[in-house]
Amino acid sequence: MGCLGLSLVISGPMRVPLYRTCHTEHIRNPVNLLQTSSLDVRAVTVDFQGLRAIDDVSLRLHGGEILGLIGPNGAGKTTLINVLTGFQEPTRGSVHLGGEDIGAWKPHQRSRRGLVRTFQSVLPFAGLSALENVEASGLSIGLSRAEARADAERILMEMGLGDKLHRAAGTLPFGEERRVGIARAIAMRPRFLLMDEPAAGLNDAECRDLKQIVEGISQSLGCGVLFIEHRMSLVFELCRRIQVLQLGRTLAVGTPDEIRADPKVRTAYLGQEAA
Amino acid sequence: MLANPALRPLQTAAILILVLLGVALMAALAPPAMQRTVVEAMIKLTVVVGLFVFVGNSGVFSFGHVAFMAVGGYMSAVLTLAPARKETLLDLPGFLEALQLPWPVAMIVVVPAVGLIALAVGWPICRLRGIALPMATFAILIITFVVASNWKEVTGGRQALVGLPRYTGLWVAFGGAALAILAAAIYGVTRHSLLLRCSRENEVAAAATGIDVERERLIAFVISAMIVAAGGVLFSHFIGTITANTFYLDLTFVTLTMLVAGGMRSLTGAFVGVALVSIVSELFRTVERGFSVGNVTIAAPPGLQEIALAAILLAILILRPSGLLGDHEVAFTSSSSGSSPAKPEG
Ligand SMILES: Nc1ncnc2c1ncn2[C@@H]1O[C@H](COP(=O)(O)OP(=O)(O)OP(=O)(O)O)[C@@H](O)[C@H]1O
Ligand SMILES: [Mg+2]
Repeated sequence: MGCLGLSLVISGPMRVPLYRTCHTEHIRNPVNLLQTSSLDVRAVTVDFQGLRAIDDVSLRLHGGEILGLIGPNGAGKTTLINVLTGFQEPTRGSVHLGGEDIGAWKPHQRSRRGLVRTFQSVLPFAGLSALENVEASGLSIGLSRAEARADAERILMEMGLGDKLHRAAGTLPFGEERRVGIARAIAMRPRFLLMDEPAAGLNDAECRDLKQIVEGISQSLGCGVLFIEHRMSLVFELCRRIQVLQLGRTLAVGTPDEIRADPKVRTAYLGQEAA
Repeated sequence: MLANPALRPLQTAAILILVLLGVALMAALAPPAMQRTVVEAMIKLTVVVGLFVFVGNSGVFSFGHVAFMAVGGYMSAVLTLAPARKETLLDLPGFLEALQLPWPVAMIVVVPAVGLIALAVGWPICRLRGIALPMATFAILIITFVVASNWKEVTGGRQALVGLPRYTGLWVAFGGAALAILAAAIYGVTRHSLLLRCSRENEVAAAATGIDVERERLIAFVISAMIVAAGGVLFSHFIGTITANTFYLDLTFVTLTMLVAGGMRSLTGAFVGVALVSIVSELFRTVERGFSVGNVTIAAPPGLQEIALAAILLAILILRPSGLLGDHEVAFTSSSSGSSPAKPEG
C-alpha cells in the first residue's frame, strides 16, 4: 500500500478494512467529509396498508459510533433501514444527514453520499465475480477503473477472499458471500454503514471475524455503524449504545447494562435469552 | 495487458472478427446465392450485437429494437434515393427531395440521428420497472410500424420504397458487423457495462451500491439503438426495397431467437446464435424449395422453416434457458467470472 492506508493489522486470518486517505473521494465528493457527522431519524412512521410497521421512531447515529438496533422478528428493523436508504418512503417523519433533510434523495444518491447498507439476504451480484461486485462500488463513487479495481482487490484480500477474486459471487459459500456483501459496502467508503443482521448464518469463528471487521470500520475512518443483530452477545460486545424496537415502537435506548437491566426489554425480548 | 480480465471483451471481439473474416473470405469464393445468405447473416449479426448491448447487459428484454432498424432504413432511403424517384414515391419538402447523399455520408448522418431519437424515447422508458419496460419497447415497435405504414409523404405508406442503392455487398456487411462487434466490446470494457450488469444481477442491490440504474440503462439503450439502426440501414440497402412490414414481427422474432439461442448475456453467444439460426433457416429454406436425391425430388411444405426456428427456440429455452453459451465468451486467456469452468475454445 503506497499511500497512507489506515490498515489495522489484527490477529487472525483477516485484517480489517481500511481507507486510503490520499485518494480522490473527498475531492470528488466534498460533502462527505464534514457535514455528515450525524444521521438522524426524526419521528418516522411507516404504514403498510393497515399495518403500522414503524410507529413514531426517532434515532440518532454519530460518526464513529456503533449503535445496536435489536428487536424481535417483525419489529421493523429492516423497514427502518429501508427508510434510511430511500427504498421505503416514510408515511410521516424525516431523515437527516448532517442536518440536511434527505427525503428527496434517491437510494443511489444516498449510497454515493456515504449512507450505505448491507442486506439481510446479502443480495450479491451473483453472476459477477467477487472482484466485480466490489469494483462496482468504487466506480459508482467516481473512482477510475484502475483505482476501483485496486481498491476492490485490497479490500477483498483483507477480508480473506484474496484467492476468490474471480469466482462468481453466487457460487461462494454463505459466509464468504456475506463478506463480499460487506466488502461491497466498505468499498462505497461509507460515512454511515447500516448492517442488517450481518452475522445471521455465520459460525462462531466467522462471527469473531465480523466483530473485528465492524470495529475496524468504525475506528479507521470514524464511520458510524447501525448494527442490527439477533445474537445478543455480539451486540453487547460491539455497541456502547443500543436501541430496542418492538412492534414498530422504540421500547428503550441505553447502554448494554441499562438494556440488560430494563424490565420492559427483559419481558419483551431478552426474556428467553438472558435467562 | 490483455491478461487484464477487464479487457477480455476486446479479446473476444478480436477472435470473433477474425472468424467473421474467415467466413467472409470463404463466402467471397462461393456462388452468389450462398454469398447473399452470408451477407444477410452478417447484417443480422450487426442487429443482434446491437440488441445484445442493451438486453445482454441490462437483462431487460426489448421487443422494440427492430423499430430502430426501420427508422434507420427509412432515413437512409430518404437521404440516398434519387430525387426523381422521391418525387414519384414520396411527398417531401423541397430541400429533402433534392438532397441525395452518398451512402457513407447518409450512414454517418443516420446513426447519430437515431441515437438522438433513442435518447428521447428511452428517457421515459428506462424509468419503467419490471415488465413495464419490455412492454413499452413493444409499444415502440407497434407505433413505428403504424407510422411507417401510414406516413405516405415520408415512407410511402403501404407502398414499398423501391430503388434504394444496393451497396451492401459482402465487404460492406462484413465491415458493419465487425464494427458492431468492436463497438459492443468497447462498451463492454467501460464502467457503464459493469454497472449495468450489476443492475441486471440485482436492481435493489445496484441502487444500494450507488448505481443510477435508469441512467445506465439509457446509455446502453442509445448505443444499442445506434448499432441496430446501422443494421437497418445496411439491410435496406441490401434488399433495395423497404416496406413497413420489412421491419416488424418476423424480423423481431428472428433476431430475438438469435440472441436467446446463443446466450443473451454473451457477445460470443450472439455470434453463435446468428450462425446457428442462419444455417438452420438456410437448410430448411432449401428443403422447402425442394431438392433431388438421385432422381427423387423432395420438397417440404412451406412454413417449415418458421416452425423449425420456433422449435429450436423452445428446445433451447427448455433445455438451456441461458442459451447455448450462457455467459461464456471466447478469449485467449482463461479465467472467467462464469459459474462453470467449461468454456469453448478460441
Ligand atoms: N413491503 C411490505 N409490505 C407490507 N408489510 C411489510 C413490508 N415490509 C415489511 N412489512 C411488515 O412490516 C413489519 C416489520 O418488518 P421488518 O422486516 O422491518 O421487521 P424486522 O424487524 O426486520 O424483522 P426480522 O428480524 O424478521 O428481519 C412486519 O410485520 C412485516 O411483515
Ligand atoms: Mg429484518
